[in-house]
Amino acid sequence: MSRPTPPKATFLTTLMDLPKNVWSSIFRNPLPSNDLERSATSFTNFFLHIHPVKVHKNSLRPTYTFGLGLISFFLFLILTVSGILLMFYYVPSTQQAYDRMLDLRGSVAFGTLLRNMHRWSAHGMVAIVFLHLCRVFLTGSYKKPREFNWVVGVILFLLTLFMSFTGYLLPWDQLAFWAITVGTAIAGYAPIIGKDIQFLLMGGTSVGQEALLRFYVLHVAVLPAILTLMIAIHFWRIRKDGGLSRPEDADPKVSLEAMENAVTPKGSVPEPKKLYGFQGLVRGPLTKVGQIPDNTVFSWPNLFLAELFTFVVTLSAILVLSLLFNAPLEEPVNALHPPNPAKAPWYFLGLQEMVSYSAFWGGIGVPGIFVLLLLGTPYLDRGPKGVGKWFSRDRLLANTIFITFVVANIIFVIIGTFFRGANWAFVTPW
Amino acid sequence: MAVNLKRSSGEDSDGGKTSRRKMLGWLTGAGLFGSAGLSAVSNFVFIKPRATYGQPQRFSVGKPEDFPSGTRAILAPRGICIVREGSKLAAISITCTHLGCTVGAADTGFACPCHGSRFDQDGNVTGGPAPRPLPWFQITLAPNGEIEVDKDIEIAPGSYLTL
Repeated sequence: MSRPTPPKATFLTTLMDLPKNVWSSIFRNPLPSNDLERSATSFTNFFLHIHPVKVHKNSLRPTYTFGLGLISFFLFLILTVSGILLMFYYVPSTQQAYDRMLDLRGSVAFGTLLRNMHRWSAHGMVAIVFLHLCRVFLTGSYKKPREFNWVVGVILFLLTLFMSFTGYLLPWDQLAFWAITVGTAIAGYAPIIGKDIQFLLMGGTSVGQEALLRFYVLHVAVLPAILTLMIAIHFWRIRKDGGLSRPEDADPKVSLEAMENAVTPKGSVPEPKKLYGFQGLVRGPLTKVGQIPDNTVFSWPNLFLAELFTFVVTLSAILVLSLLFNAPLEEPVNALHPPNPAKAPWYFLGLQEMVSYSAFWGGIGVPGIFVLLLLGTPYLDRGPKGVGKWFSRDRLLANTIFITFVVANIIFVIIGTFFRGANWAFVTPW
Repeated sequence: MAVNLKRSSGEDSDGGKTSRRKMLGWLTGAGLFGSAGLSAVSNFVFIKPRATYGQPQRFSVGKPEDFPSGTRAILAPRGICIVREGSKLAAISITCTHLGCTVGAADTGFACPCHGSRFDQDGNVTGGPAPRPLPWFQITLAPNGEIEVDKDIEIAPGSYLTL
């Protein structure tokens, strides 16, 4: 009895330690205070482990990426959450869809706000994904070894447009009905399989109940599933292709000798356990991380704070827009009387303007050639120079062609939006 | 023993075993990818409707007396315009051949509000992006005396049903 007994694990202390134990069973690392913990945090957290432990300083330069890819992804998250919430009240029926829109406005808590957020995020995603595509092109980032990820990106852009297009029909108002009537008719002009695609999309010979149900299934199940898979591939390949593109001179020159010295055990001093071994193996046989000078910084906190900042700005912008502006809702569908002029959403107005000259060339021919050129870009433009710099002079030709296409499309969009009146006649907006 | 192992591991490119193995590989691949392809096609067969639930393509529009001579009656729900001149009857489509909008009556014939196509009284294109004239549908007189229109059968423009 004279010996001091070690503190007994009583039920009380177990209870008192419970929060700490639960916490440490979920988060195996404390908030990092040294480099080892910083890297371990990136490894052990499910949501962080798709990030590298260290990230190149060039990738963090706001004026290099403008965070456009991240913003696109965050908009997709906002769209997923708000979309799932809207599904609780929506019925894909020609009898009910429009009334449900009015219900969202009148009798559902936050109904207007959620619909606004969904609509403005959708518009925003189309715009930002397109700007992201422009950024990647104008910095030459589609070049080797990122060719295939560029292709995945172009597919993601098309999927975004198709998502937006299928969502457009769901409110079942005049705008929706006639935009989809015109859009599916454009598909009908595709050679050979056009009529079949049109019939499959509409589930009949005209836009009606079957078309509404089909567009709903595409919008809430089929396309989101494909989009999610493609986003996963897109992100995975960013890592496998060596992170974001950067100019050749972004890394300090290291002589071969220095590299070899860096991995040769020095005398009898035992090598410290290599923490980043697997990271090194990915790129080659040498474990050179931490031994030679590089321009990287730890992802915790540099990258993660940047991502958090981007997310907060994106969400705030969408919230402010949704509080200030209401998503439009026109008259319910009247299949007998198209509005005059009947206009598609703004990002398809360039297409509609071209279609007013020739349905095949405007709707299928020119857009098809543009998409094929985009897909083929990294395989046609094989020059290794000019990667990682905006408007590099080495890529003058490619950039000029690209900007010409973009500006032409923007001009068509502006004409279609502001300069077209009744019967698609040319009018001046002032 | 060692030689046999080498042979069966496929290093002898002239050996019968190698080509047989390759052949089996090709057949397996063809079987697997063929099945996957067929499954994909069957999905499209599934989503292609055999019966549509919309408007019937063949319907009657009333008795000839309902359309006195000189009538140009737009039956918007049916997507046709019934034209009667004297004893001649015709059904002209009012679905624009450009992108499927519903055309309206205009002084000179028909006009489309979507992309500005214009047609004359007989549906011929007089302006705008429409690539084809408005089709004429087969029109018959049913035994009960009603006019029957079949939108699945297009006839040459200008061929009227004479009463």
